[in-house]
Amino acid sequence: MFCSKKKSLEVERIVKANDREHNEKFQYADNCIHTSKYNILTFLPINLFEQFQRVANAYFLFLLILQLIPEISSLTWFTTMVPLVLVITMTAVKDATDDYFRHKSDNQVNNRLSEVLIDSKLQNEKWMNVKVGDIVKLENNQFVAADLLLLSSSEPHGLCYIETAELDGETNLKVRHALSVTSELGADISRLAKFDGTVVCEAPNNKLDKFTGVLSWKDSKHSLNNEKIILRGCILRNTSWCFGMVIFAGPDTKLMQNSGKTKFKRTSIDRLMNTLVLWIFGFLVCMGVILAIGNSIWENQVGDQFRTFLFWNEGEKNSVFSGFLTFWSYIIILNTVVPISLYVSMEVIRLGHSYFINWDRKMYYPEKATPAEARTTTLNEELGQIEYIFSDKTGTLTENIMTFKKCSINGKIYGEADDDMGQKTDMTKKNKPVDFAVNPQADRTCQFSDHRLMESIKLGDSKVYEFLRVLALCHTVMSEENSAGQLIYQVQSPDEGALVTAARNLGFIFKSRTSETITIEELGTLVTYQLLAFLDFNNIRKRMSVIVRNPEGQIKLYSKGADTILFEKLHPSNEDLLTLTTDHLSEFAGEGLRTLAIAYRDLDDKYFKEWHKMLEDANALIDERDERVAGLYEEIERDLMLLGATAVEDKLQEGVIETVTNLSLANIKIWVLTGDKQGQRVAQHWSSTLDTSGLLETAINIGYACNMLTDDMNDVFIISGNTAVEVREELRKAKENLFEQNRSFSNGHVVFEKQQMELDSVVEETITGDYALIINGHSLTVYDQWFITLFNIVYTSLPVLAMGIFDQDVDDQNSMDYPQLYEPGQLNLLFNKRKFFICMAHGIYTSLALFFIPYGAFYNVAGDDGQHVADYQSFAVTMATSLVIVVSVQIALDTSYWTVINHVFIWGSVATYFSILFTMHSNGIFGIFPNQFPFVGNARHSLAQKCIWLVILLTTVASVMPVVAFRFLKVDLCPALSDQIRRRQKAQKKAKPSRSRRPQTRRSSSRRSGYAFAHQEGYGELITSGKNMRAKNPPPTPGLEKTLYNSTSWIENLCKKTTDTVSSFSLDKTVKL
Amino acid sequence: MTKMKKTSQICQSKLPDNTALKQQQLPAYRLQLSATGVLSGFFATGAFCLGVGIILILSAKSIKEIEIKYTKICANCAELREDAINFDKECTCSIPFYLSETMQGNVYLYYKLYGFYQNLYRYILSRSNSQLVGTDLKDVGNCAPFSKSHNGTPIAPCGAIANSIFNDTIILSYNLNSSIHMEVPMLRSGITWWTDKYVKFRNPSAINLSSAFTGTAKPPYWSKPVYELDLEDTENNGFLNDDFIVWMRTAAFPTFKKLYRRLNRVQYFIEGLPAGNYSFNITYNFPVTRFKGEKSVVLSTLTWSGGSSLFLGLAYTVTGAVTWLAAFSMMAIHLMLKEKRTLFIERFETERDRA
Repeated sequence: MFCSKKKSLEVERIVKANDREHNEKFQYADNCIHTSKYNILTFLPINLFEQFQRVANAYFLFLLILQLIPEISSLTWFTTMVPLVLVITMTAVKDATDDYFRHKSDNQVNNRLSEVLIDSKLQNEKWMNVKVGDIVKLENNQFVAADLLLLSSSEPHGLCYIETAELDGETNLKVRHALSVTSELGADISRLAKFDGTVVCEAPNNKLDKFTGVLSWKDSKHSLNNEKIILRGCILRNTSWCFGMVIFAGPDTKLMQNSGKTKFKRTSIDRLMNTLVLWIFGFLVCMGVILAIGNSIWENQVGDQFRTFLFWNEGEKNSVFSGFLTFWSYIIILNTVVPISLYVSMEVIRLGHSYFINWDRKMYYPEKATPAEARTTTLNEELGQIEYIFSDKTGTLTENIMTFKKCSINGKIYGEADDDMGQKTDMTKKNKPVDFAVNPQADRTCQFSDHRLMESIKLGDSKVYEFLRVLALCHTVMSEENSAGQLIYQVQSPDEGALVTAARNLGFIFKSRTSETITIEELGTLVTYQLLAFLDFNNIRKRMSVIVRNPEGQIKLYSKGADTILFEKLHPSNEDLLTLTTDHLSEFAGEGLRTLAIAYRDLDDKYFKEWHKMLEDANALIDERDERVAGLYEEIERDLMLLGATAVEDKLQEGVIETVTNLSLANIKIWVLTGDKQGQRVAQHWSSTLDTSGLLETAINIGYACNMLTDDMNDVFIISGNTAVEVREELRKAKENLFEQNRSFSNGHVVFEKQQMELDSVVEETITGDYALIINGHSLTVYDQWFITLFNIVYTSLPVLAMGIFDQDVDDQNSMDYPQLYEPGQLNLLFNKRKFFICMAHGIYTSLALFFIPYGAFYNVAGDDGQHVADYQSFAVTMATSLVIVVSVQIALDTSYWTVINHVFIWGSVATYFSILFTMHSNGIFGIFPNQFPFVGNARHSLAQKCIWLVILLTTVASVMPVVAFRFLKVDLCPALSDQIRRRQKAQKKAKPSRSRRPQTRRSSSRRSGYAFAHQEGYGELITSGKNMRAKNPPPTPGLEKTLYNSTSWIENLCKKTTDTVSSFSLDKTVKL
Repeated sequence: MTKMKKTSQICQSKLPDNTALKQQQLPAYRLQLSATGVLSGFFATGAFCLGVGIILILSAKSIKEIEIKYTKICANCAELREDAINFDKECTCSIPFYLSETMQGNVYLYYKLYGFYQNLYRYILSRSNSQLVGTDLKDVGNCAPFSKSHNGTPIAPCGAIANSIFNDTIILSYNLNSSIHMEVPMLRSGITWWTDKYVKFRNPSAINLSSAFTGTAKPPYWSKPVYELDLEDTENNGFLNDDFIVWMRTAAFPTFKKLYRRLNRVQYFIEGLPAGNYSFNITYNFPVTRFKGEKSVVLSTLTWSGGSSLFLGLAYTVTGAVTWLAAFSMMAIHLMLKEKRTLFIERFETERDRA
């Protein structure tokens, strides 16, 4: 299935509705997407081209070319060809499978059906056949097929709700709003079919939050903004249908524009490996030069006389030239020093680890039936090396389920002491009956109840009434009755929901609202308030107010907002209460509660009327409208009378405390992106050295809750992004890790650590192993060519892989208990350049042992049948066998965790070595290819000699003993934590009581503000305009209830690709907090 | 309800399998370098190495070996061979020597070359196995520069290795007394690998050998064609000539000895070589002075491990000693530091408990 390709750059887009012919002139991309990279014809060339861009592959191609030059070809071509072909085939197969699945998902997406208005009829059309300018009908819970201009919807005023989770990860619903001229079209197919508006708009771009354009229809022009656009990838929610006109299709959609090229992420190991490979290459060149010089000297002194004897009619040769040729020969011979197989091993090990992550039951989240999913295999080992975690707060660290916990009314705290068990039972006994007796409409989910508060209500404390009235009146909640006649609140911010529900339980029940009135039931009596003004929330104001006229005719301003803001607006007479409330707020905040201050103001009629007039004037302005309105709001929201404060708990997710504690013990720094203080983004960083006094946030409370912070601890600092340049630098540096860490953290399962631990230890050991054997193996040139060809691939790779995949240096319980195990990984202690040089030295030592022991032993020796054993072929076999055995013993020593698979692989590879050896040296294979397998009979003869086995044994002992000694001394003298834990693990193998978690102590002092308010601007306007109100029964509550749906993989794929965008989104998210 | 069931089924299917492999719970043995294990391992290895070393040294000492370098002794012949023009002039050389002790058991006669680089890369490759196995006499592909003679006929056996064959004849005679000189009976058989003689080297099939080799030329340095290498034993001709096969198994080092003959233990020599006067009668053909090399003849007996040199025994002894030394010092360090260590883990735990 082919999609039409894109054309030249677009400056602006002109789309005419229902006019395919017209739109075809512009050759806009159709709605067919292809995320796949290849097709059958292009696969081979493109994939090969891509693969040879990798340094290792290119290097081996270069070697292969060198080997085709007969003068310098020291090894036959297959020594390079076989591994190269193997690697390239494996990668190609993997790429092909990946691409096949991309094709499949593309196909699936492109073949989805959507209803399109064609020839004045609604017809089912595949997504890929949807054209720009088409009018598309969407139904509830459908994916949006393309970027649409919303024309009309089932909801009043052409509203529709969309969920943008696939685009920006936000799960709350967003409102889109059709132009009134188009919303009149409704679902009238004939009128829609006649709709011939022309949209002139921006060219395709990747800005998800911006759209500018103009709709020209019926001789008038209407400006279009982002509010009128529904983007591909969104899901229509709570709206039975809507119609939209396709503006951008397929690759031009904002979603696809964001997808871009997958950027290959490299881990620090990759980078280090690349450096090391370069070094090895340098080392190889040095070796080549040294050997070439040696060759020149030899040729000059010895070979010259020899040549005439051995090489007959060849003329005199320049020894320098011979050295030059020798240089290249050695480059070829020593080529395997450069570890091509290392890259493959790494890939395989990463793949294995990602499967282990996916399979881990401890990372299975039963509530959502989701196992862990490693979406990329390239970054696994980095998991254990995280230094910073960037986390969103609400909904990630916390459950985003708000419960009204406490309040302070007129200087008295209600809802005290929920920590104390005795009191708690006491409370339930006393209060619950009272609660229900008073109020049959109470929402049982709300736990709050305090006997004293009930008493106060009964006593008719006016301040308490006023307080509850604020809660019941000042909000943006919508109410409705469900089929059972129960009152249900539609909330767009869970904080508000908690507050309104609390008021409801306490007898002040918000019943309904129109654009001009709010009806509440005050202790059984229905009271209707006239809504005179709605002073909406925004991030700068951090408060919201309503001005209402009560039935008595009094005008009141009810306000709730951030304490710091609201306290500045108080009437001076509030001073005493202010002090008291401030203390209470600190206490609430200290417990990690989200607080709001509550206040009111009595307004006199005349003053309000004047003000209202000014507000209306200001609203009519075009320029500076917002500033003027804000000024007016400021003006009226002053001289407030403080009522008290509320405290809402946003419970921490299960396990957050333990997780954060463990992470901090593991020296992982946690940054929490959270609500803002002064309109700036604030990130908090628990670790360094600054005083906490001034600006404080709820996030810190999490810190307190997790026992991470103490009062005298100087290690919290708050960054306000606009000020400190160096902080930005640090932020930028850490940014690249942002996405994935966010993701991993939001999984919320600590159990990872197991894998993480394993991973980093394993990677280290793999590399150690591999380097060791590579260096051992190939500084020498005496091997059988087949041996060189197969050595890395067959004989020794499997045990290394097995070790890499299955090794566990400490078990999961212990890695949880001792988070400090992470530090070596973070500090790169496990695999760094120093280690690498130690490996090099080890490798060189081993190769010397491997060469000189057989050399010395064979020098003047005959076999036990009198024949000489020091022939070239026997020597090669002896060394190869010693090498395989030494390497296997080495790997066996490195494997600290022997599973069946390790056994199979280690013994198996030794067995494989011998069986291949005997096969290659067999008569049969020689009979078929006498020139390729000249080692016939060698294994049989050599390995029958006692002295050869003595040599092999001695070589093994000599090369392994020093390693064991050093390792023992290291563990003995300065044991790493993991060594100690392992030792302990062994000791305690039997009795293992599960460690009890430390009791959490919560901080409850220090002055801070726990202000937080998950609120969005703009709902006030909707309320006052009455647009979001309906007579009929509405669809389920937005925001809270969400039907489970399976997000399709292609969107995930795209989201994955848009790492950068998404990370910037997570920053943007702070705005809404 | 059905929906509920469905979802729970989905949950079940998504739950990863609880197998030991997938949950990384495979039964495993943890390798731990415990002090006792390592130290006892070291002591045991050391003891073993010392034991083997001493046995090897003793058996190496028991070997009787005589080596006579004859390049200088036969200086006149060596000089003659300097110049290739004299290739057809025969030169013999007799080297008398006295064997003070009887060489008990099997005695082997070797020739030994010094400074002959049979391990040269291009030299090693310069052969054709498919020719030597008799299947394709014309296959001289890898034999450069000795693949074809000047007139273009393929050389058989081709290549630098074959061309440079060691072609001295060595005859050992026993001087029973001043008048009776008897040739010591020597066996030519059993000096090659079985696989070489019966698999790797085969003569081309034909009625007789000379016709089989028609259309090929002899290597340029050879005085006789390959089918006339042994005029006494017709079976020992062509590619199957034992000396030829031995030579074709190239040595790993520039100094090497190759088995030439072994003692036929009959008559006087049933016990081995008795003590007495002997002489080597050498037909000196192989030039070594041109590359500053040397030649020698070696007579040697064997032990259980073959004709081992002292090196392996010494190496074992040294390794064993070093291992013991290391074991002792490791033990000392271990015992000394055992008291002092406060383990990090304990510090950590006390800290944690305090918290």
